[in-house]
Amino acid sequence: MASFANPRKRVPPESLIKQVTAVLRHHALWDSLLIIVSPVLALIYGLVFLRRTAWIGDLTFVLTVSSITGLGLLAVFLRVRPRIPSAATAARLADEKSGAKDHFLTLSTIDPVTCQQSFLERLRREAAIFSERIELKRDFPYQPKRWSYGSVVGSLIVAAFIYFVAPLAEPMLRAAPVHERIREMAEKMAERPKLKGIAEALKALAAKIEDPKAPEEEKQKLVQEIEKQIAEQQKQEQDKNDRDLLDQAANQLGGAEQQQSASGKDQQKDQQNGAGGIQSNLPQDNQGESKQSQGGSGESKGGRTAELSQDMQQGKSAQGNPKEPGQDKNQPNQSETKNSQPDPSQPGKDQNKQKADKNQGGSKDGAGRNQASEEPPQNVAPAERLYKNGEGKEGLKGARYVTVQLPEDVAAEVKGESMTGKESKGNRVGAKVPVSNVPLPAHVPNAAMEKQQLPIEYRGIIR
Amino acid sequence: MEPEQFQDVFQRLEVEVQKVIVGHNDVIRKVLVAFFAGGHVLLEGVPGLGKTLLVKSLSQALGMTFKRIQFTPDLMPSDIVGTEVLADTNGRREFQFKRGPIFAHVVLADEINRATPKTQSAVLEAMEEKQVTVFGESHILESPFMVLATQNPIELEGTYPLPEAQLDRFFFKLLVAPPAPPELREILRRTTGTEVADIVKVLPEDGGKLFKEMMLLVRQVMIAPPIEDYVVRLVHATQTASQNGGQASVKQYIRFGSSPRGAQSVILGAKGHALVDGRVHVSYEDVGKVIFSALRHRIILNFQAEAENVSSDQIIAEVIKQVARD
Repeated sequence: MASFANPRKRVPPESLIKQVTAVLRHHALWDSLLIIVSPVLALIYGLVFLRRTAWIGDLTFVLTVSSITGLGLLAVFLRVRPRIPSAATAARLADEKSGAKDHFLTLSTIDPVTCQQSFLERLRREAAIFSERIELKRDFPYQPKRWSYGSVVGSLIVAAFIYFVAPLAEPMLRAAPVHERIREMAEKMAERPKLKGIAEALKALAAKIEDPKAPEEEKQKLVQEIEKQIAEQQKQEQDKNDRDLLDQAANQLGGAEQQQSASGKDQQKDQQNGAGGIQSNLPQDNQGESKQSQGGSGESKGGRTAELSQDMQQGKSAQGNPKEPGQDKNQPNQSETKNSQPDPSQPGKDQNKQKADKNQGGSKDGAGRNQASEEPPQNVAPAERLYKNGEGKEGLKGARYVTVQLPEDVAAEVKGESMTGKESKGNRVGAKVPVSNVPLPAHVPNAAMEKQQLPIEYRGIIR
Repeated sequence: MEPEQFQDVFQRLEVEVQKVIVGHNDVIRKVLVAFFAGGHVLLEGVPGLGKTLLVKSLSQALGMTFKRIQFTPDLMPSDIVGTEVLADTNGRREFQFKRGPIFAHVVLADEINRATPKTQSAVLEAMEEKQVTVFGESHILESPFMVLATQNPIELEGTYPLPEAQLDRFFFKLLVAPPAPPELREILRRTTGTEVADIVKVLPEDGGKLFKEMMLLVRQVMIAPPIEDYVVRLVHATQTASQNGGQASVKQYIRFGSSPRGAQSVILGAKGHALVDGRVHVSYEDVGKVIFSALRHRIILNFQAEAENVSSDQIIAEVIKQVARD
């Protein structure tokens, strides 16, 4: 450091090379810092903005900032390391600046053992004279690279964008508080005469949530009560729009309940900040799903507590509305299958009927329709091509060609027929009904039940 | 010996040769550098440029024995290395070895490309091994030994171009350019008047010892590993089989690249130049000064280069551009 204070003082050439190396190392470090730190700061500023708009929680914010800072430091380290100049590089620069003819380069790279000591001493003396010509600050000033400027300017532009433009979008970005969303939902439901009771309850709940002094237990209890009401109403409700509204309300409540139980303290803080207590994207997701359900599909996948969703799905399966093919497909179909599909090993109809009765909800019409549609037409005469020569229309006895309709397909066919009439018949013939031309073995009507080729329940649907 | 002493002797030799030779300072210096590096020099230039005079003057300044061999198509190897002759000694007739002109410190092989390859090859052993073998008996050549060959680049009829193996044995190939007008004026002044240049012998009587010390000093000059590596990369870049950075633009003209002798010549030449410059270490600049002379005759060009009139010097210049210093 003495050379910085008094550059004219004769410095041993080896020390000068070390000083030049240190200066160049600092330059490399500054270059990397300028290139990498600016974007990191801009990113952190963006995160602060997101935190302010309650898009991310405290923990997420801290973790993300820590990760970005760590990655930035790692990037600086990785960028600087290969750019740290070697002694040879520093020596060459010293040669260039001092006008020496590779004196410093030779001195810094040559192996002293392999050369004559007198020559080495002479070289050192000559290099020392040249080293007087070097002034570190003058000859090795720091000049930021073009990339550094670009990085800083780019980062400033991003920061300015966040500072000036993003606040305009803040109301859009800011997630609506739970109580506001519940209140909106209550207002919608209040327009429906059947749902007025639930609407009032929702309004009361919104008021409770809004009140930071209200105890958490009370809020949760209220939420659960309303959920029950909604579940009951869903079972009774026939109108599709009303059911959609009830779905949305259930979703909102599911989210609210989860939030109430998970982050009570954060919610209080956020409510005080006016952020509405939204800590995660869950309410957003629920909103999105509610929108989907408004579109008529009526799907409700996840986003709710397991209990609530189970209740909802049971209710739907009990309703068994054949007009909504897009409904939660798995569970209703499973229940329907269970109801209609006989167990070959237990051919007794009573057990199945009992199960079906258990699964049937309040709406018996739907179930009845399903039952009727699952039964193959008993009195319809089979097509002429299915008869063998000489068999006539008396029966199917000994028929060699069969058409098998599986219960699921039958259900789908029934729905199709109820919707589009003749078109669905065309579809059935085209692709939906699996057709087999495998010849059946001879039918022995008097054989034991377990030796029958087909369960007795299926016999009616084979033509 | 101290580097200053080397520098002093070298400069005095230069001054003495320059008393006779006008211009060609670079050629004179490189001839001397090659001499103290223990190499041989091929001088190429049109007739009348003072090639022979240069060699004569050099030998006079060195104070060493000098022989001139005019190469002709009918020159026989024995005319160069010597032969056994029947001699009468004390009434007895016996064969005695009569030394040829190759037995001298400085040998001028004038128009070397006019002799047949058989005769040319007779010089090969002498140049590399510093010895000749006649009738199975080897005869050591006295040190220092230097062959300065000349060849005419334009009169190609009736010539036998030197084989690559022989070219490779020359330390430097120097191009003797026609004199510039001021130099020509000076030549006329010196040669058409009554003034006669008197060359003073620079080396003492036992010049051989001093020469050996100077040779040793040249080899003691330090060279930084990055510069050494630079030379290696330069030479390697001229080789066609190399994969290390020589671009197709260069390699498409090269039939054979430089041999390791090329790299040796560059380093030794650079060391000599550094000493002459008063330094005890080689710089990149020294390498740049000698690389053309050291490599131009070692890069054998192909037909495409001849057709496109691309010279070895252009190839070397391109290689220097391509190979970066560390």
